[in-house]
Amino acid sequence: MEIIRTIPMLLLCLLLPLMASSQSRVDQCLTCHETLGDKPSELFRRDVHFQKGVSCAGCHGGDASAEEMEQAMATEKGFIGVPKGDGISNACARCHSNATIMVKQFNSTLPRNQLEVLSASVHGKLSTTGKEHIAQCTTCHDAHGIVSTKEPGSPVFPLNVTKTCAKCHADAAFMRMYNPALPIDQLDKYRASVHGMKNAHGDVKVAACASCHGSHDIRSASDVKSRVYALNLPTTCGACHANAKYMKGYRIPTDQVKRFSSSVHGKALLEKHDLGAPACNDCHGNHGAAPPGVESISKVCGTCHALNATLFASSPHKKAFDKRRLPECETCHGYHEIVAATDDLLGVSPEATCSRCHRENQNAKGYLAAKTMRHLIDSLESSEKRADSLVADAEQKGMEVSEARFKLRDARQARLQSRTMVHAFNEEKFREVIGAGLNVSSIVAGEGQAAVDEYFFRRWGLGVATLIITIVAGSLYLTIRMIEKTQERQK
Amino acid sequence: MTKLWIKLYRWVNERVHLEDLVEFLGKKYVPVHSHSVWYYFGGVSLFLFIIQVVTGILLLLYYKGSEQLAFESIQFIMSKVEFGWLIRSIHSWAANLFVLSAMIHMFSVYFTKAYRNPREMTWLTGMLMFFLALGFGFSGYLLPWNELAFFATKVGTDIAGVLPIIGEPIMIFLRGGEEVTGATLSRFFGFHVAVLPGIFTVLLGIHLILVQRQGMSEPIDVENSPTAERKAMPFFPNFLLRDLLFWLLVLNLLAILAVFFPWELGKKADLFAPAPAGIRPEWYFMFMFQTLKYIPAQLWIVDGEVFGIMAFGIAGLLWTLVPFWDRKSSRGEKNLLITYSGMFAVMYIIILTILGWRS
Repeated sequence: MEIIRTIPMLLLCLLLPLMASSQSRVDQCLTCHETLGDKPSELFRRDVHFQKGVSCAGCHGGDASAEEMEQAMATEKGFIGVPKGDGISNACARCHSNATIMVKQFNSTLPRNQLEVLSASVHGKLSTTGKEHIAQCTTCHDAHGIVSTKEPGSPVFPLNVTKTCAKCHADAAFMRMYNPALPIDQLDKYRASVHGMKNAHGDVKVAACASCHGSHDIRSASDVKSRVYALNLPTTCGACHANAKYMKGYRIPTDQVKRFSSSVHGKALLEKHDLGAPACNDCHGNHGAAPPGVESISKVCGTCHALNATLFASSPHKKAFDKRRLPECETCHGYHEIVAATDDLLGVSPEATCSRCHRENQNAKGYLAAKTMRHLIDSLESSEKRADSLVADAEQKGMEVSEARFKLRDARQARLQSRTMVHAFNEEKFREVIGAGLNVSSIVAGEGQAAVDEYFFRRWGLGVATLIITIVAGSLYLTIRMIEKTQERQK
Repeated sequence: MTKLWIKLYRWVNERVHLEDLVEFLGKKYVPVHSHSVWYYFGGVSLFLFIIQVVTGILLLLYYKGSEQLAFESIQFIMSKVEFGWLIRSIHSWAANLFVLSAMIHMFSVYFTKAYRNPREMTWLTGMLMFFLALGFGFSGYLLPWNELAFFATKVGTDIAGVLPIIGEPIMIFLRGGEEVTGATLSRFFGFHVAVLPGIFTVLLGIHLILVQRQGMSEPIDVENSPTAERKAMPFFPNFLLRDLLFWLLVLNLLAILAVFFPWELGKKADLFAPAPAGIRPEWYFMFMFQTLKYIPAQLWIVDGEVFGIMAFGIAGLLWTLVPFWDRKSSRGEKNLLITYSGMFAVMYIIILTILGWRS
């Protein structure tokens, strides 16, 4: 078969130089191959490289000016045929990594470290054959019809890149070879996302794969250098969402990253580097990114705050919120700029969230419940503080109160538990938790007070002991004096 | 009341002939001179040892010598047992005062050359008891199984381990394995409450019998002075009552220290935790620890640490054997080399200890 294909090609190659003898500077490879009507030569006419004057020999080697096929494709002329494996990327890098060629010859502003970056990326790992990297330049950019990434025809143009990536990433058999745990439905999810829908309608500004993951420098999401690593994600999303100029026309706020950064979640993630804290994707989704709907907010928050969500779902507030279509968690805690929940949220003071709906003359039952619950939690806090202060006082006096200090943790635990129980909005259950905390605080306060009393008892005891010892020592001294005087008299 | 005492004395006297003992004690005299005050430190050391035995036995009623329970049992003693805090604090403070008092006693004997012929055996038993006292301190320090004690023991046994040939076997013997673990605690507990007290009691018995048999030594210049100028006081009751007075003062000092500066327990030892900052040995090991820090890692062809330990070992041996090589003192002559060496040792210990505490 190979010979059958090669014979006409050879004949054409012999004829073409005769036909084009007056065009010795013409790319003879292309001339011959076009006559053969092959796809690569057809595509190459549209290729950015062809337009910039790069001949076939630029990648395949050989002598593009030679009219004779034997001469043009002679190995001594550097002909390498079709590059294979890493030879593909190396062939590209011969020019793309060379400043002299790229800048001086083509006046290009393209970065010249693409191959280096690609090799360090997740795609730069060795393939199953162990002889080459997983991805070569042509995997994403194609081989002969390469156009600028800004051209709609480019496979990495924003409207096409999702399909290009999905060629491998949606292929279960292929992905199983490298990362069986990685989902293969990213494109489907993306199409259901706000980004995906707009992209499908031809919006090239919305995020596509490369916007978040990068292009040559794609790393695993668990790699700290990855743009989608939890700590880096707010910056990645913020690259567009915090850019008011870029987001103009989408009519959504651009202060989400700023507000998130000052939230309890943002501080935990960005300042304490707590990877358990949520980043943008934990609430909005990754590839299927969209704002959670009113009805799903408690479910989203509940993935981490499970107990709070369960208690809320069985509380009287659930029905009331549903009726008024109020977002469940968000109504009291806000969104993006969620601050650490303090006891101030509870109660009937102006800053308490309960007072927004419950007033003395409006929803009075809830008003009374909020007032009582706040009073209870304040009592526990002051009781815990008193116990803590007594234990600290005893510690400062050098007393051994480690057991009381340990028990105090139960009181603190009860207070934390009460903050969870508040989501049940059930005064009886709340009182039960607070009661347990008050009981522990009272025991600890008693032990702390006993230790402080013991401290003073020891000092009094020492005073009495010192007095007795002094009297005995004084008596002894006088006895010695008396004995010695008697002895002197006897002498 | 007095009649009751007289009746009691007569009752005992009829049975064990106490009058012989009183007569014997009445014939014993203690020299009186400008350095007599140092005689009391022997008695103070004995008193502190008795306190250690008594408080130690009381602590034994509650202490549990295991990795899991040692720390908690001390915590229990200090917070739940009636006067447990006092017993534990007194035991810890008395241990330190015992070493200090024994050290003063040793230096006073050294500077007055009281070790000279015929009291070489008294000196030797005293020195052995002093080393045992350091052993008491080192083994007792680990027993609360707290963080500081754990790491100090680790460092201490590490130092023993650097000695060539015998170092590693000694270290493994002390630790009961390669590392400081619960096995080390059990071992140290055994040394602290059985092995060391047993040996110490035998040596103390010999030491006291020798003191009673040979009487108190006089400094060379007092001994060489005319008999008429030499003063003495009866051991009983004069010296014994003064001794008692001194003991009462020490007892009061102990009570003040225990109440105002209760011995801290710290944090429970965690075998996997990194060493906390400020690990240092007890004050009486500080001068050696600080010296080892100053010695370069390599001295000529010798490892610096090995050199330091060997140097202290040789110095300690020379010090212990001083009655056998200081012939001048035995002849009743002044030996300034001994005095200056002792002064150097005292200054060295004080300066290095201060430097150790400040670093």
